[in-house]
Amino acid sequence: MNASPGGPATAVPSTRSRPSRRLLRGITVVASCLALLAAAVVVGVRALDEEPTVTLLANWTGEDEEHFRQAVIEPFERKYHIHVDYQGSNAESQVLGADVEAGTPPDVVVLTGPGELAEYARQKQLVPLEQLVETKDFGPSWALPLADGHVYWFPLKADLKSIVWYPADVGEQQRARAVRRPAEWCVGMGSGATSGWPGTDWIEDILLQRYGTQVYEKWARGALSWRSPQVREAWKAWGKLVGAGGDRELLRRILKTPYQDASRPVTARPRGCTLEHQASFIRARPAWQRADGRYVPSARLIPGATGTHAWEVSGDLVALLHATPEATKLIRHLASADAQQAWSDRESGFSVHAGVRPAPGGTDPDWRRSLARTLRDPHEARCFDASDAMPPAVRDAFAEATIEFLADPGHLEDLLHSLDTLSGTRDLTWLPSVCDRRTP
Amino acid sequence: MSTDRGMTPGTGAGGGTPHGPAAVPSTPPGPAPGAGAPPAPPPPRTRPADRRTPGRTHRRLARLPARPPGAGRRPPEGGSTTAHDLAVRRRLLLTLSALLTLSLFVSYQGVHGDANPLRTSTAPSVLSLDTALYALGEARRDARAPAPTSDFQKQISVAAQSLSAAAADDDLGGPAGRQTLQTITGLITVYAVKVQQSQLQPDDSVLREAYLAYATDILTQKGSGIEDRLKALQRQQRATVHRQTSFGPLLWLAWSVCLLLVLALGAALLQTQLYLRHRFRRRYNRQLLAALVLSAAGFAAAALFTVWTQQGMTDTRHLLDRTLPGRLIPDAGRNTASYLAHTGFRAAAAVWILIGGVLLMALAETGLRRHIDDYRFRPR
Repeated sequence: MNASPGGPATAVPSTRSRPSRRLLRGITVVASCLALLAAAVVVGVRALDEEPTVTLLANWTGEDEEHFRQAVIEPFERKYHIHVDYQGSNAESQVLGADVEAGTPPDVVVLTGPGELAEYARQKQLVPLEQLVETKDFGPSWALPLADGHVYWFPLKADLKSIVWYPADVGEQQRARAVRRPAEWCVGMGSGATSGWPGTDWIEDILLQRYGTQVYEKWARGALSWRSPQVREAWKAWGKLVGAGGDRELLRRILKTPYQDASRPVTARPRGCTLEHQASFIRARPAWQRADGRYVPSARLIPGATGTHAWEVSGDLVALLHATPEATKLIRHLASADAQQAWSDRESGFSVHAGVRPAPGGTDPDWRRSLARTLRDPHEARCFDASDAMPPAVRDAFAEATIEFLADPGHLEDLLHSLDTLSGTRDLTWLPSVCDRRTP
Repeated sequence: MSTDRGMTPGTGAGGGTPHGPAAVPSTPPGPAPGAGAPPAPPPPRTRPADRRTPGRTHRRLARLPARPPGAGRRPPEGGSTTAHDLAVRRRLLLTLSALLTLSLFVSYQGVHGDANPLRTSTAPSVLSLDTALYALGEARRDARAPAPTSDFQKQISVAAQSLSAAAADDDLGGPAGRQTLQTITGLITVYAVKVQQSQLQPDDSVLREAYLAYATDILTQKGSGIEDRLKALQRQQRATVHRQTSFGPLLWLAWSVCLLLVLALGAALLQTQLYLRHRFRRRYNRQLLAALVLSAAGFAAAALFTVWTQQGMTDTRHLLDRTLPGRLIPDAGRNTASYLAHTGFRAAAAVWILIGGVLLMALAETGLRRHIDDYRFRPR
């Protein structure tokens, strides 16, 4: 019988060499396939666990963090399938400093301080953004080119600071009376690691409203002594307004209350306080929402203000430390009009992006529209928060000094002397300019 | 070895039946036709080499295997099926061996692949986070002391060192986990500074209260305080422990498949052994018996190693499933080490599954090869 259709077959006892080779080859092939398959399975399972990630450090925690995730991060993650590892901390500066020193900084940071960012830029820690972001969308005063000609940050959100909030049912005369009574001011100096910054905002704004943009900018650039009459008077005026060194219970409340809770007494019965000198973002707090908070320019309430209508502003500034593909995508996303709009809407903040316009139909309340207009109006003079623009060491010492001053205003000269000494330290990075030039 | 050599198919006395007895070739193996010399015509058979007529069971078993690809053409009705049956068995044994090797390797890795990270990274990092939380709790108590104390500094150092130890864990949530740890480390520094500032103020001063309030806020703030961040990291690490130590449905499925495959391979080896015993004179095929022993012993060893490792991992999970008070943490560390002892050695044994699989296939191949070669047909 034939085993093959091709012709008669015969049984041929095989030689030893050919089957051995065939056997060896077969086993080698099978073993290789097995090893490859096993390796592929193991590697495949591991690879499935990995996901592109970008790390982001900012100062929003609690509800703010939740809003930021919902309005900005989650749309980005859905669109690009990149996980954003967000770290929020009110000790952001310290955390970032430690990260940079350890050589493991986050990919992207959102800081309120251009002074701190300028210092990192000087250390070559930041990546220039001109290739990634249309800096003209934000204007030169917000996306400020440094001495090397590069732009290292842009604002994600802007806030107006030279304002005083009050409940809608409080009239002008009541406000005028409340200004002179320290207990009527809602003040909270607590902010964890950055406690004291609400005091710096007060002193900066008093200086700006009393002495104008030139003095303010000179001081913010480190060119005006802390012991100058203007600065000293600003401290004293603030101490008088909020009752520095006065009633112990009031001081305890001011010093221990976290800034975000300072407005709680507004809705208490009887009302615990009436006025709050705080930035526009505070309007999102429940107390001001319940009290239907309105604002008045601080220039109308600060004693001795000249009425020049200069505005102190602040911003959450985005900077890039690691130009990974994921990080650059996040930067572009944060600089987009959509993300800016979403975040500003959610936080009762404002975008200064040229592509973000107030909602058509005028559904925004009056106070919101007027704040937005002020932030964009080319005829208004705006100065960046001076302490945020100062070198981080000076900024932190300034915040500490406001706490000590409140407890014991008699130490003012010592505090100012210390600040002068610190500001005179070499190798500090001061910004070249902090104020807009008003268009005539 | 020549006693079990088969007959030339179709020429034997019993060649007319599909499972008829084979005959012993009367000449020793000669050169292949391709080698030049024409093959000598096979001598007439005088009597079958296979002495026994296969029983009913054997006939039934022999019909069982389907014809896998490459099994060769089934001989026409009335021809000998020995060559075909041998080829079918060879393919079956090699396929089962390969499948068993692969599934056993994957199943084994599924358990042991997590043992090493658990022993060297995850479990120590959970304990480090426990230590850090405990030390910070102690530090918070010491922070209320009227003057700066060495106890407070000691607890802060313990917390910082524990976080450094936890940071050594490669699996601590990847870059995100490391970033969180750095954030916590930064916050601990700020916390310590604020406590020291408060302790430098006079007793009963508002500044003392204020600085202590700021410090406490840094430690206990809901969601973003040090303690909540550490607890979130700890939850994440405990989830990793659960994932690493769980013996889930997929692993049950994989090990069930392994068990079925090892039983199927054992049955196939036994059946092949019986087939060869009936078909040829040789009582035992040593290679096939060795393959049987190897597959059984290998599977048993792998299963035993897995049971031991899984037990150790389960004990570890039970130990780490709750926040430990400070004094129990060192004991927990020692217990964890003992539970997970030798898991590294057992995990490293995974490579022997692949080696054993290759050996298994080599034994199956060599066990049948000599019979198949004797039945090799070549066109004239």
